[in-house]
Amino acid sequence: MKYFVKVNGHDHEVVLTERLGELLVEVDGEPMDIVYEEVDSLGQVLAITGEGAAFGVSIEGDSQRAGITIAGHFYDIEIEDERERAAHAAARAAGAGGGSVKSVMPGVVVSLLVAEGDEVEEGQPLLVLEAMKMQNEIVAPAAGAVVRIHASEGEAVSAGAKLVDLKAAEEA
Amino acid sequence: MFDRILVANRGEIALRILRTAREMGIETVAVYSDFDQRALHVRMAHQAIALGGELPSESYLVGEKILDAAKRSGAQAIHPGYGFLAENAEFAQAVMDAGLAWIGPPPNAIEVMGDKIISRRAMKDAGVPLVPGLTDAVDDVAEAIAAAEEIGYPVAIKAAAGGGGKGIRIVRDPAEMDTAFRTASGEAVSAFGDGRLYIERYLDQPRHIEIQVLFDAHGDAVHLGERECSIQRRHQKLIEECPSVVIDEEMREKMGEVALQAGHAVKYEGAGTVEFLWSGGEFFFLEMNTRLQVEHPVTEMVTGIDLVREQLRVASGEPLGYGQDAIEMRGHSIEVRINAEDTAAGFVPSVGTVKNLRFPGGAGVRIDSCLYRGMEVGLAYDPMLAKVIVHAHDRDTAIRRMRRVLEELNVSGVRISAPAALAVLEESAFQEGNFDTHFLEGLDLSKPHGNEEQLAAAVAAIYRRHRAADRALAVSGAARKGWRERSRAMTSAYSQAAGRPSAGGDA
Repeated sequence: MKYFVKVNGHDHEVVLTERLGELLVEVDGEPMDIVYEEVDSLGQVLAITGEGAAFGVSIEGDSQRAGITIAGHFYDIEIEDERERAAHAAARAAGAGGGSVKSVMPGVVVSLLVAEGDEVEEGQPLLVLEAMKMQNEIVAPAAGAVVRIHASEGEAVSAGAKLVDLKAAEEA
Repeated sequence: MFDRILVANRGEIALRILRTAREMGIETVAVYSDFDQRALHVRMAHQAIALGGELPSESYLVGEKILDAAKRSGAQAIHPGYGFLAENAEFAQAVMDAGLAWIGPPPNAIEVMGDKIISRRAMKDAGVPLVPGLTDAVDDVAEAIAAAEEIGYPVAIKAAAGGGGKGIRIVRDPAEMDTAFRTASGEAVSAFGDGRLYIERYLDQPRHIEIQVLFDAHGDAVHLGERECSIQRRHQKLIEECPSVVIDEEMREKMGEVALQAGHAVKYEGAGTVEFLWSGGEFFFLEMNTRLQVEHPVTEMVTGIDLVREQLRVASGEPLGYGQDAIEMRGHSIEVRINAEDTAAGFVPSVGTVKNLRFPGGAGVRIDSCLYRGMEVGLAYDPMLAKVIVHAHDRDTAIRRMRRVLEELNVSGVRISAPAALAVLEESAFQEGNFDTHFLEGLDLSKPHGNEEQLAAAVAAIYRRHRAADRALAVSGAARKGWRERSRAMTSAYSQAAGRPSAGGDA
């Protein structure tokens, strides 16, 4: 089985093959000699590579998105198999041109600075989001028109929630 | 000394205070919001009293509830920790009016130092050096721009009632003033209920150096040297150390004397911190924090003095009993704050349930933490979950020790600030002591700092394969239903054979 693994934004390919009950691992076209042992059900993994380089690895997440910690450093993981890769590529092609400003953090919308139908310029503040008692202005990534506002003042939003839909200036 | 005290706080600082009190043979009373029912401070105290309410504004910030809990528990004194009501002069007065001891400075000292405009006036009168700026609040953007022209750019806009980095904006030219003024004012209103702003010169390449002071109620005082807190972002500190590489014995004495002068000017009592901006050998008064600070452990590690113990002694009326000669600084200490935030995505808050937890150990390591497995990390409370502190005979060894400690530490379920701290500690400029308060903001933390990407990719793929195998082996819902029905039928057949009714009713 082939996996496309994005680690901190960099692409890697991992091929796992089971032969006679043994798992053969290939990373970026090179075989990797690895002993993989799950220590507990909380995501603690012992990995020994090559001639005995030992790593205490912590992993959490689901089948598509995971976080790995090795020796204090964090690795952000996005993982797809071939079928998922094709499906995601198709979805991206279909959605091209749409512009949603999403919340990068969970917080509360303090005030809306634009209304639906407004023309905005690149960098223009759209709304003020308060998280951890710090107020942050969320700005328009590009010039365009405000098509739809998904949040209201005082509303709590989660990370990744759609805030404002914009229509790019050339399309408007 | 008190027999019983109430700790009006939560998190790691509540535990910190409970620990010293217990060691001194003092009974401890914890208070908690509904959100904190399972928290460690509730479990570690002798008594725990529910305040009710989920949010801080319904619990830890309600003075009457705290006072009521103190009365019900028979506590003789209240320790406020930091944050919440720690710098609320009105509450301090209410505690004293209720016949209880307030483990903190006199209400008047809190009030004077708590208002940046009044404190600047008081410090100016006391001969303490100040950053060039206005001592009056500005009312609107036009006035702010006029003031900035006079002082010279860049300027800092700050909330008069501020603290903790809230309501502060740096403005480098007039065009930025509008947005900066609006957001700073909004933050100041929502955080402190007071939107007054003032303006001062913003010093380039500044370092944040603060002096720990201790005053007793009899007019005696000592300073415990400095803390270097320049590794910060948006005025939120990440790494603190003691001593600072830029402060020699002579400078330490000079800053210590000025800090004591500041404290004497407001008739200070207890533990406090005088913050300075240090720039090219000059230092300017920033503010005085009239409470125990988050980063106090680095001072404790180097001086060997338990600051909470000294707070309790002073509040119960004991004299310090030692002078400046008794204060000796040994070795080097570093603290790293473990916050629930995604530092790679611009330090945005991270929420979740703590799953895996592995603490570092070994010589010279101290952990002040409120973490436990299953702990919910939400948005309503401070994101600081723990502090790791190391001590060693010199700075190089302390840095190596902290790197080792952060490599050992593992918290899953929420993203933590440890990788960012590790990235700082790995920078040669930091190791050489060559940094200022902009250092952390200038570091690109979005780029990966770890070198094990291929290993991470392999582990992620194998882990996913194992989970898929688990699912394939797991019992499906339909199969489980079938088994259950079959077993029910068999039980029923057995009871009928044994002559007992299969279900209640006709027997």
